[in-house]
Amino acid sequence: MLIQVLLSGIALGSIYGLVALGFAVVFKATDVFNFAQGMFVAFGAYFAVTTINLLGLPFPLAVAAIIAASAALGVVIHIVLIQPLSGRPMLSVIMLTIALSIVMRAVIEILYGVQSRTLSTPMPTGIFLVGDVRISQLHLVAAGVSWLCMAAFGAFFKFTSIGLLMRATADGHEAALVSGVNVKVMNRLAWAIGAGLAAIGGLFLGQLQIVSPELEHIGLLALPAVVIGGMQSIPGAIIGGLLVGLIEQLSATYISPKSSDILVYVLLLAILMVRPWGLFGQRELGRV
Amino acid sequence: MQDQKTEQRGPLRKRLLAALAAGTLALSAQAQFESPSEGVYKDRVDWGVMMDLSGPASGSQGIWTNGFQAYVRSINEKGGVSGRRINVLAEDSRFNPAQDKINYEKLSTQTPVLAISGMGSSSSQVSLAPTIRGGKIPIVGTYTHTKPLSEPTSPLVYGGFCTYPEMAKAGVGYMTEKLKIKSPKVMVVSIESAGGVEYAQFIADAVKKYGGTSSLVTMKITAADVTPQVLEIIKQKPDFITIYGVGNTAILTMKAMHQYGLKIPAFGISYLMSPQIYAAIGPEAGPNYNVISCFTPGGADQSAGNKEMMAAADKYNHSAMKEDVNYVAGWVVGQMAVQALQLAGPQPTRARLVEAMSKGFTVNTNGLSAPIVFTPTDHDGPSRFRMIGYDYAAKKYVSFGEFADYEKYMK
Repeated sequence: MLIQVLLSGIALGSIYGLVALGFAVVFKATDVFNFAQGMFVAFGAYFAVTTINLLGLPFPLAVAAIIAASAALGVVIHIVLIQPLSGRPMLSVIMLTIALSIVMRAVIEILYGVQSRTLSTPMPTGIFLVGDVRISQLHLVAAGVSWLCMAAFGAFFKFTSIGLLMRATADGHEAALVSGVNVKVMNRLAWAIGAGLAAIGGLFLGQLQIVSPELEHIGLLALPAVVIGGMQSIPGAIIGGLLVGLIEQLSATYISPKSSDILVYVLLLAILMVRPWGLFGQRELGRV
Repeated sequence: MQDQKTEQRGPLRKRLLAALAAGTLALSAQAQFESPSEGVYKDRVDWGVMMDLSGPASGSQGIWTNGFQAYVRSINEKGGVSGRRINVLAEDSRFNPAQDKINYEKLSTQTPVLAISGMGSSSSQVSLAPTIRGGKIPIVGTYTHTKPLSEPTSPLVYGGFCTYPEMAKAGVGYMTEKLKIKSPKVMVVSIESAGGVEYAQFIADAVKKYGGTSSLVTMKITAADVTPQVLEIIKQKPDFITIYGVGNTAILTMKAMHQYGLKIPAFGISYLMSPQIYAAIGPEAGPNYNVISCFTPGGADQSAGNKEMMAAADKYNHSAMKEDVNYVAGWVVGQMAVQALQLAGPQPTRARLVEAMSKGFTVNTNGLSAPIVFTPTDHDGPSRFRMIGYDYAAKKYVSFGEFADYEKYMK
């Protein structure tokens, strides 16, 4: 039983980690605490319904379209809403992202109606049996793809010139500007990546259950994941996601489903009080 | 002779003229009757709806509202009731009792209505029960059933959805008989809510009558995975399970059980019957999932009521909703509302509506449900059930028996 629970926790946590990674990329690049990240997850699921079920695109093309559409959405939001607020107090930007999530939800309901939608994809839905342990094929695919995306992003961030420029921009906007980096383009790229990663999470969550605006609530579990792992830390966001997934499943099994909320947020509070930069983040030192 | 006839005609003519004048006065009085403070005007009656149209339950309650509005629209197209069209004022509760309080006050005084239908949030019903019971606005066709609002029976409140105790009795009775079990072991899979705990108790009471046992396992309403819950099902080994919650509850449970190779039969509460749920569960796991319902979903049979509802749904661009039990439920409450308005007469007021309904009335839904009988002491609403499944090959619902066949389980 424990192995079963751990496996489902890792699978779920991998999806949370993917969404949390998107959140961390946006925060690291633009200093924006994006409360609309959960709605990017929901949008990803609805893009999937549109491309796969409504338009009937071949699955690989549909996935490419989902990522492209989500990335474009992220870029548009940055240009229209976030960039104009650059330099404003953080509270203003936070309020904007909260308002954005409400607007995005309303847009979904206007475009798709209040009814939930079923997402049918060619992803496998059977199980592997390893001794007494049953491994859901869909969980395996979700975890595998999530880790692949995270690894690909890590490689992009570390080994490509654009990734280097993004890191430079995240470390210091002024220094990057002075060095000739187009900071606006880097920020837009961060939002595109953040939205794209959330959309992949939405594709899997929509397949695991049903597509509805309520996917936002699952996507928002990325927030404690990224705070626990470290808001400025890419690996931290991933580990944070895994931790949240494992805590959820273990507590639901051995205590009660509702206890997972308590345990996740108690851990978040503890981290904020004891180590506010997160488990893998770096303490920021200010020099006078 | 002629003089006598003239004398006889004189008084008769006067009486006829007097009667004609009185009749004209009465008719014009009716035509002129208004009570704007209660939502009654010369050409229309304002009728309120309080449902979640944009919150977590909007997926079902929004569809219910569409069903209600569709029936009302079909009546308005035929001239309305007593020459007045029914104007539906739908207020969005966002599944928030505080918002429902604001909406209730608004429909009482600011944009007053003759009556209110819906009230989809059980928390709202519980918190507003004293206000409603002490007020003057009748609630005709509640979406959910709560004790504070319905017990003791109030002349102001009339139920409009399948009741949980009867759902439990009919579902447990049918499954026990179908599976030929002597002492059924039943598991309730439920979201963590007051309604879920109440439902589990009704199941326990129903199972007890057959000498069986029941247990409860819960999950979060926003759960993304139910491995812990399915492991508990494997551990308990129930004969059958019953599901209480939202669409995801049923989908996740059935899919996870299938993944674990479990073929345990399950039935969901009436709210969990929609084509989307069956499509999401899929044809591998779907045959094990049925729903105990007091309503007949669109397309499940060829009754006059079903055909009328399906035709209207297509006409009003609701085709995607007509197989959803919530749409049927809203349509049926629309029928209740119209019938109540007819009973109130051509000069309807809140008091007249309450007085007319409290004498008792029966709503014939033409096959969409069993006839709904309200008596002076029983305002529960639809209380006759049958089990409904889904034929994936034919892509339509399948009813198991008639409503009357389930009477034996209700004793």
